[in-house]
Amino acid sequence: MSDSLSRSGAGLQETRKLPSVVSRLWVLSRATFGRLALVVVLGLGWQWLADSGLLNPLFFGAPRGILDRLYDGLIVTGVLLPDIWASIVATLIAFALGSVGGIGLGLLFAIFPRGGGFFEPFLTAFNALPRIALAPLFILWFGLGLPAKIAVGVSLSIVILLSSTLAGARSVDADLLVLARTLGATPTQVFFRITLPSAVPTIFSGLRLGLIYSLLGVVSAEIIGSVNGLGVQLTQSAGMFDTNGVFAILIILAFLGTVLTWAMNILEKRLLRWR
Amino acid sequence: MVPNSGLPEGSEGNAAIAVRNISHEFAGGRATLSHIDLDIAKGEFVTIVGPSGCGKTTLLNLMAGLLSVQTGSLTINDHCPTAGSRETAYMLARDALLPWLTTRQNAEFGAMITGQGAAERRARALNLLRKVGLDTFEDAYPKALSHGMRQRTALARTFCLQAPILLMDEPFGALDAQTKLQLEEALLSLWQTERRTVVFITHDLGEAIALADRVVVMSGRPGRIAAIIEISLPRPRSIRLLQKDPKFHELYAQVWEQLEQGLNG
Repeated sequence: MSDSLSRSGAGLQETRKLPSVVSRLWVLSRATFGRLALVVVLGLGWQWLADSGLLNPLFFGAPRGILDRLYDGLIVTGVLLPDIWASIVATLIAFALGSVGGIGLGLLFAIFPRGGGFFEPFLTAFNALPRIALAPLFILWFGLGLPAKIAVGVSLSIVILLSSTLAGARSVDADLLVLARTLGATPTQVFFRITLPSAVPTIFSGLRLGLIYSLLGVVSAEIIGSVNGLGVQLTQSAGMFDTNGVFAILIILAFLGTVLTWAMNILEKRLLRWR
Repeated sequence: MVPNSGLPEGSEGNAAIAVRNISHEFAGGRATLSHIDLDIAKGEFVTIVGPSGCGKTTLLNLMAGLLSVQTGSLTINDHCPTAGSRETAYMLARDALLPWLTTRQNAEFGAMITGQGAAERRARALNLLRKVGLDTFEDAYPKALSHGMRQRTALARTFCLQAPILLMDEPFGALDAQTKLQLEEALLSLWQTERRTVVFITHDLGEAIALADRVVVMSGRPGRIAAIIEISLPRPRSIRLLQKDPKFHELYAQVWEQLEQGLNG
């Protein structure tokens, strides 16, 4: 009797635990399902417009053709894979260099505000410059390979990280600085124990943006001139009136950007548990 | 040692804090303090009350060395106060917890900055957190704590410092009555075991009387000392029980009268 009672008790606990997991999965899948449904409905509508002749497939393409291109380029011939790889590598290198440089410079500016003040107008001027316009110059200097793409990516991401690092370092809670003063904290302690950790959340939003802008810089450089990469495929497809090919590349780019942002979000959640 | 003694004439050498004829003005010539004289003995608990803008915080900041003395003299253990000295610990009105540190790390933070050994400060912090009733929250981040819990963590951080003098600027000012009572009890029991010198600013007269050996009543603009009232209530005290003590209400009326005179004069 007591045995059956305790067993039913355990069962109760389990059923109490189970629904929360199930409901969480259900909420997740419901949102995912909704998003997929939206894509399918839009795709079908587009296909119908193309089939009925309301949209000229020569200019607007059609989902069936785009899927064919993707399937062909990614799986059957794999012709897009080396270009995808080339763009990803260039993006990650540009992001890494831009982040290290931007955060490093931002922290230097924060530690030496007078020096920071001196360079700030130059920074504003550089930031106002359309960096894509520098691409032809970089190609002239570095050729059609990897370095030119990286240079364009870095020119975008470094400024984003510099300004977000600086903004973060300047947004330190004044109370914490008073506390540090009354404790007799050294400037080094204030920097590592208070200023830097205060800046981390702002730096992270800069990193998320910097990653996307690195991809943007790299692909733009490829469009202007390169030996490989998704940007090259994009111009080639457009040049040959292969609208489906262009859309296929755009979908890959959007997917890459989403995956990169998602990875950053996971990292941020891990590192900023205290928020 | 008699902790609640006022200082007799000629015994300045025993004063932990000696304020002599201090006046202070901010830019624009607005005087905040005028001719302040005050001696605070070692181990004494002094509270300062007064209308807002009477320079209570300015006086405390002078003691902490956050502001420099303009006229008069102010000494802490016979020398000039400097911000960051190991002799004073400062507690702010807002908790000033570091959001990326856990409760225990926050309690240890001051001790870490002042260079206490890791094992020692950890033991002290855990002991203090137990005393303020937060030992089960040692791994929580400040965002998960209530307002009162955050301020209790700040209290533990202040006591974790080994400074003999505690300067507290309305530390419980923003709390609701119930939470405030808990924190006052926590503060009193911590003080009871260590008897450090405390200068405590508040705008709550009941709080000022319940905690103090002496209440300093200030009048406004420029801030002057209107009266210093001895609180001869026996220790250890229970803040809850004091509410029913006729002597407590007598003192309350006395302090209130002084404060009112200061407001009118």
